[in-house]
Amino acid sequence: MSSRLGIPIDNVSIVHGDTDKVQMGMGTYGSRSGAVGMAAISKALDKIEAKAKKVAAHVLEASEGDIEFKDGKFTVKGTDKAADFGSIALQAYIAHKFNGQELEPGLKESAFWDPTNFTFPAGVHICELEIDPATGVVTIDRWTAVDDFGNVINPLIVEGQVHGGIAQGVGQALLEGAVYDAEGQLITASYMDYTMPRAQDLPSYNVGMTVTACPSNPLGIKGCGEAGAIASPPAVINAITNALGHENITMPATSEKVWRAVQSSAHKQAAE
Amino acid sequence: MYAFTHHAATSVADAVSSVGEGKFLAGGHTLIPTMKQRLAMPGHLVDLNKVAELKGISDNGSVLTVKAMSRHAEVADSDVVTKAIPGLAALAGGIGDPQVRHRGTIGGSIANNDPVADYPAGCLALGATIVTNKRRVAADDFFQGLFTTALEDGELITAVEFPHADKFAYVKFRNPASLYALVGVAVARRGSDVRVAVTGAGSDGVFRWKEAEAALAGNFSAGALDGLKVSAAGLNGDIHGSAEYRAHLIGVMAKRAVAAA
Ligand SMILES: Cc1cc2nc3c(=O)[nH]c(=O)nc-3n(C[C@H](O)[C@H](O)[C@H](O)COP(=O)(O)OP(=O)(O)OC[C@H]3O[C@@H](n4cnc5c(N)ncnc54)[C@H](O)[C@@H]3O)c2cc1C
Repeated sequence: MSSRLGIPIDNVSIVHGDTDKVQMGMGTYGSRSGAVGMAAISKALDKIEAKAKKVAAHVLEASEGDIEFKDGKFTVKGTDKAADFGSIALQAYIAHKFNGQELEPGLKESAFWDPTNFTFPAGVHICELEIDPATGVVTIDRWTAVDDFGNVINPLIVEGQVHGGIAQGVGQALLEGAVYDAEGQLITASYMDYTMPRAQDLPSYNVGMTVTACPSNPLGIKGCGEAGAIASPPAVINAITNALGHENITMPATSEKVWRAVQSSAHKQAAE
Repeated sequence: MYAFTHHAATSVADAVSSVGEGKFLAGGHTLIPTMKQRLAMPGHLVDLNKVAELKGISDNGSVLTVKAMSRHAEVADSDVVTKAIPGLAALAGGIGDPQVRHRGTIGGSIANNDPVADYPAGCLALGATIVTNKRRVAADDFFQGLFTTALEDGELITAVEFPHADKFAYVKFRNPASLYALVGVAVARRGSDVRVAVTGAGSDGVFRWKEAEAALAGNFSAGALDGLKVSAAGLNGDIHGSAEYRAHLIGVMAKRAVAAA
């Protein structure tokens, strides 16, 4: 919004998570918030720009077809006449420079967007780990991930989501699990028993991106929220089965399970 | 939390005479959560935190004395401990997390005798003497099973005395969730006298592994433990490790402790 309208980011207020303000939404599933919601915002901005050009035509005393909008400025083709977005927005509301009966005052738009297709983010996550054969403890040494999320709006947030997703997936692969006893009592009812992944369970990640614009939405963006969590469990388990030389392991691959799996590992037998 | 009375004791004599039916409060890291959960509901607490007599660490060249209110972090960071018995400083430095180490005390830890706590293994392997306001108790007699010690009601631990050892190390395998010891093994050697203590695994709390002691007495090396097996009978089993896995880990941790000692 800021770069599209050429206004400072501080002038943009984000209102979300409020059903009193947002008419309709179906949820954040499928990593669709960016790809669908941002596309709707972009469509609404198209309408804002079109309306603002009509206002600018009156303010700059030119025909609408000669108005150009770039870098937050409305200009008249072939002249040095110009007005910035803020002054046009103000004129849109006070309606002094045009007839309010012919052009409806105000600069407020909304848009709905139904994507033409899903988005298809793709990536590769490489997990390198070591198993202590004496105890079954798995130590993740290195993590390298490259994802393609199309055009990235906020790289810091995207990278953070990948980091968090990997942590969640490592937890699923190695540590987490809700366990009930025979009477149906939840045994893992506190963090003294339920193993959440902690910083010490995770390596320092090496995360990269490639950018292939997505064709099914105007911003060319793809979902990124679930990439880390989806890629990491198979990466961890594949690394473990690769180390073991067999596939008899289930998640969570706790140290005891891995230790038992090591007993039947051809690699172990070969080493002995 | 429910209502209870609190007395900040100023001396050992004051603490002992005012405790009555109540409980001593040291670091509170075990007692306070237990009270919140109503697993214990003492009506009166005698706070030991201001008792100067219960603080301090000293060494006379053959015996290291750690007063009861020494925090785990103080023991871990103490030059006196590091010089006398470096493995004991390492043990204290591996307890819980920084918050726990800056509140929890040696007196509270051994009075509690949690079957997964670290200090009991260190005390037992080093043949420590637990000093109370009334008497001196050998570690072998002090730890008497799950959360059970030789302490009588109202008896106060004032210090723990650790005779120096030629070698000492403690190595633990952490429970991945709580980070307490799933299995912890402490090994101490004085000449041909070797003591091996195991925490975390025993369903009756900390215990000595006599077969390993005998094997190590003649040959203090990790290899001396090859082929020695601990029986899974009498060991704890839970979602983080079956009794069989713990039995196996005792052997692995013992070897690592011998190698580290
Ligand atoms: C999150 C967490 C993680 C932990 N992880 C570990 C760990 O990895 N390893 C480990 O060994 N411990 C661990 N602990 C326990 C910690 O070391 C406790 O602090 C310790 O066991 C109790 O010491 P305290 O000083 O807090 O005692 P308090 O909680 O104050 O007292 C415990 C009991 O001992 C009695 N008591 C206290 N002092 C004396 C005394 N001088 N004489 C007689 N009775 C006394 C009290 O009356 C009470 O019954 C952990 C605790 C927490 C909360």
